[in-house]
Amino acid sequence: MLTVDRRAFVKASAMAAAAAAASGSNRALALTVLNNQPEGSPLKWQKAPCRFCGTGCHVMVGTENGRVVAIQGDQKAEVNKGLLCVKGYHVGLALYGKDRLTTPMLRKNGKMVPISWEEAIETIASKIMANPKGFALYGSGQWTIGEGFAGNKFMKAGLGSNQIDGNPRLCMSSAVTGFLSTFGVDEPPGVYDDIDACDVAIMWGNNMAEMHPVLFSRLVDRRTRGEKVTIIDMTTRRTRTSDLADHVLYFKPHGDLAIANGIAHLMVKSDKYDKDFVAKHCNFRKLGPKPDEKTPPDMLGVPMTFEEFAAAVEPYTPEKVEELSGVPAEKIRMLGDLFMRRDVRINSFWCMGMNQHTRGTAINCIVHGIHLMSGHFGKPGDAATSLTGQPSACGTVREVGTLCHLLPGGRLVANAEHRKEAEKLWNVPEGRIAAKPGYHTVEMFKRFNTPTDQGGDITTLWVQVTNPGQTLPNLNRNFRAKKDLADKFMIVSDVYPTATTELADLILPSAMWVEKNGMYGNSERRTQQWFKMVSAPGEARDDCWQLIAVSRRLLDKGLDGMKGKDGKWIFHTTDKSGKEVPIWDWAHYYDVNVDERLFEEYRPFSTKKHKNLAPYQEYVKSRGLRWPVVEQADGSWRETRWRFSEFDDPFVATGKGFQFYHSVSKDDKALIWFRPHEHPPEMPDAEFPFWLCTGRVLEHWHSGSMTRRIPQLHRAMPKAYVEMNREDAVKLGIRNTEIVTVKSRRGEIDLPVWIGGRGDPKPGEVFVPFFDEGKLINLVTLDEYDPYSKQPDYKKCAVTIVRKG
Amino acid sequence: MPEDPNLSRRDLLRGRLLGRIVESAANSAQRVAAAVSSAAVARETPDDGKPVGAPGVGRRFALPIHRPPGAVDEVTFLSGCTRCNECISACPVGAIVHAPARFREAAGTPMIDLHASACIMCEDTPCIAACKPGVLSADQPRKMGVAWIQTMACLAHTGSFCTVCSERCPVPGAIDVVAGRPTIRADVCTGCGVCASVCPAPTNAIVVMPLADRPLRSVHPSTQDPER
Repeated sequence: MLTVDRRAFVKASAMAAAAAAASGSNRALALTVLNNQPEGSPLKWQKAPCRFCGTGCHVMVGTENGRVVAIQGDQKAEVNKGLLCVKGYHVGLALYGKDRLTTPMLRKNGKMVPISWEEAIETIASKIMANPKGFALYGSGQWTIGEGFAGNKFMKAGLGSNQIDGNPRLCMSSAVTGFLSTFGVDEPPGVYDDIDACDVAIMWGNNMAEMHPVLFSRLVDRRTRGEKVTIIDMTTRRTRTSDLADHVLYFKPHGDLAIANGIAHLMVKSDKYDKDFVAKHCNFRKLGPKPDEKTPPDMLGVPMTFEEFAAAVEPYTPEKVEELSGVPAEKIRMLGDLFMRRDVRINSFWCMGMNQHTRGTAINCIVHGIHLMSGHFGKPGDAATSLTGQPSACGTVREVGTLCHLLPGGRLVANAEHRKEAEKLWNVPEGRIAAKPGYHTVEMFKRFNTPTDQGGDITTLWVQVTNPGQTLPNLNRNFRAKKDLADKFMIVSDVYPTATTELADLILPSAMWVEKNGMYGNSERRTQQWFKMVSAPGEARDDCWQLIAVSRRLLDKGLDGMKGKDGKWIFHTTDKSGKEVPIWDWAHYYDVNVDERLFEEYRPFSTKKHKNLAPYQEYVKSRGLRWPVVEQADGSWRETRWRFSEFDDPFVATGKGFQFYHSVSKDDKALIWFRPHEHPPEMPDAEFPFWLCTGRVLEHWHSGSMTRRIPQLHRAMPKAYVEMNREDAVKLGIRNTEIVTVKSRRGEIDLPVWIGGRGDPKPGEVFVPFFDEGKLINLVTLDEYDPYSKQPDYKKCAVTIVRKG
Repeated sequence: MPEDPNLSRRDLLRGRLLGRIVESAANSAQRVAAAVSSAAVARETPDDGKPVGAPGVGRRFALPIHRPPGAVDEVTFLSGCTRCNECISACPVGAIVHAPARFREAAGTPMIDLHASACIMCEDTPCIAACKPGVLSADQPRKMGVAWIQTMACLAHTGSFCTVCSERCPVPGAIDVVAGRPTIRADVCTGCGVCASVCPAPTNAIVVMPLADRPLRSVHPSTQDPER
């Protein structure tokens, strides 16, 4: 790589990329590659956020003759400063798997037959016309902002139906309910800058080294610069993160609530919590009584006094916590002492460990609570940070509100005033938006997989940019039952054949990533933009166009919902001269930048909850901006890093210090919740003696439909396995690599055993990654979910391990 | 060197010769600059200017070729191998191929081609069992070469995270991971090439160099490892 020229560089590997690191000489390397390009090189470099996770790294995409030929980390991006993870370096190859879907296909007499787009659009429109209330749209945290906005408008303002949900329900919704319960408004107050400023990083069941490797690099890289960062890894199994941690605290599955309550107990007992901060900025809160046997208490709770709170956490002594969680009492005291120190900055991180949890909302609330109580909040390095798994779970699903109970900009469908505002901004007649929330993900799929005459009132389902056939829990019940139901019709828009397209009745080939214009929003409220750089293969077309074309067809068929108050089509688009552009016609879709139009239509929604967005063109210029983005006197746009903190957030009144301006208690205060430890719904017993935890691996992104088609990543991690503790393996007489059956009450699969591998579960626990389409662990998992977030728990269920033969 | 009576098989197994080999690997690695290429080394010429494998070069042509496990020294190998293809058909992963013409005299003899597949270090070594003339021998160390990490291309060494090579390495202890960064223990590494075949770095970070000097077949009994 020392004397590389462009040709050698491109030849060196199928997808050339510079191993540019955030530090030292490697940074120079990537630049060298750029600067060494010969004059007149046809290679064109443009910016884009990475297609994969929610970190939001930027890559530079090199295109030549209509193909992506090179990728490198973007030096100008604040998030990753030129560094990428192993997936990111290969992201360009995700476009070029051999089996890209290139033509619409319809199931006719049991066989998938290629059809025209015209027939596909007509088929969908007819299905919707036949039963608009039985139609549901299942979207994704990989939808671009424009796609999500168009889908949301199509359903809620067009069909007047709230049957739209998205896969962030499976990954982020407990974080959402945690933020809403605590601050009254979604998304983290802090940013990634906290990673650079904290003294202590606490991982709450978060394997950051594999799931957000670039952020973990950003953290551990500080050590190489001589800074001291203490990493505390709270986990149920040894991971790559544990290897670099100063303290590894193993806890029993579900023990995290006890630990967090134990920290609160110690702060109360020793009277060393941040009294000033709590008095000025916090209220205490608990759940109220249950309205009836079946309904859980209201998520926003009822007030409690400090004395009541102290009494509630009283039982969580370090010794009691040790009993509940398995973490030694002295380690609980260490954590308590840490939170009571004012001279260190503490940053908590979590991801699926706390979110995919039947008590997800509760644990999210308690962790926010101990940060607020200890005053480790709202200063650089003092933050509670939830990390997202998808590139636009925040930007699209949470902010645009593509969930069954939300409207854009943090509004709720159940709130009459919010509906009115949305109807006004969308320019549709009052009363168009339905007041009743639709079905959340698990419920939506349950109903789609239930015979229509037995209450299965969802009959047509359109899945875009996601793979529920692999990622839903308890697949036999929630996805595969549809196979035997003749009157159910599933439409799937995707780029590759997946476990979902396998059962589809209509497959639509989609354009992906830099084959279309797009915008994403990452974990730290950063909104990012990119342009289309190459054409999609064959007849693959933008997901957004697909929605718009169907909407137009419905209008033509006389569905009045597709008309606004002015009688015009809801996606009516004009050029500069005011003439209508027929964007429903693919030949004219790129005559205007539809993505920009949709974003500008969405922008006014964002101010209600102070999530202000800048004009589209500002995002074209930047590597993303963190909302609220506010226009300055000089016409420039300023992003906000620390929300609710006076020194940075323009919406905090002068002299307040901190102001939680969407406070649940309407007094500018955040809530410190008491939520008790409770046992999970399914625990190991004599018949199913092991805990099963599922998760991701570094090399593959989620269901692997993209990364498993990248040869380098597939070779590095070819198939799923079950991690087992050596002690258990010896007891059962199981050898390393032996094939065993992992079996639960719901299903079973065969997997090779990996002992002492990348991760090492504690005795009595096993771990299986979910990326492998050939080994669907979600046939085994449990579909119990958090009562507030409706997010299933993929991390805990009871299984048994059976030797074969 | 290999005929040095002071060198035991244990020495060879433990790789006490390897300082020199590793040095040559490093030099070659710099010249080759990137990617896995055992074949590329074959194009190097020794100091006397004669191409490798040319008549009269003698033992020196033993340098470049990546033989299957248990191969005897190159001179014995070349004279003993009957090119019967038994080892090639015995290999369960297709890692053994015919050496192409650029290997001159060695053309047609079995070699490991890492571009086809890495040697997976089968415990029962079907290739050795299949070798009738015995040029692949169970008495020889299973050492084929040595892998070398180019840290500049390695993800783990350049600020990212990766542990694939150490996880997939079939030889216990051959790759150490310290603070998340892999290093190859040249004395333990057998040169099977699994690490190179699975390395997911954008530019493959692992070069596998064939063993320069394989030990002669006959070893004095008194120097044999008593543990074996």
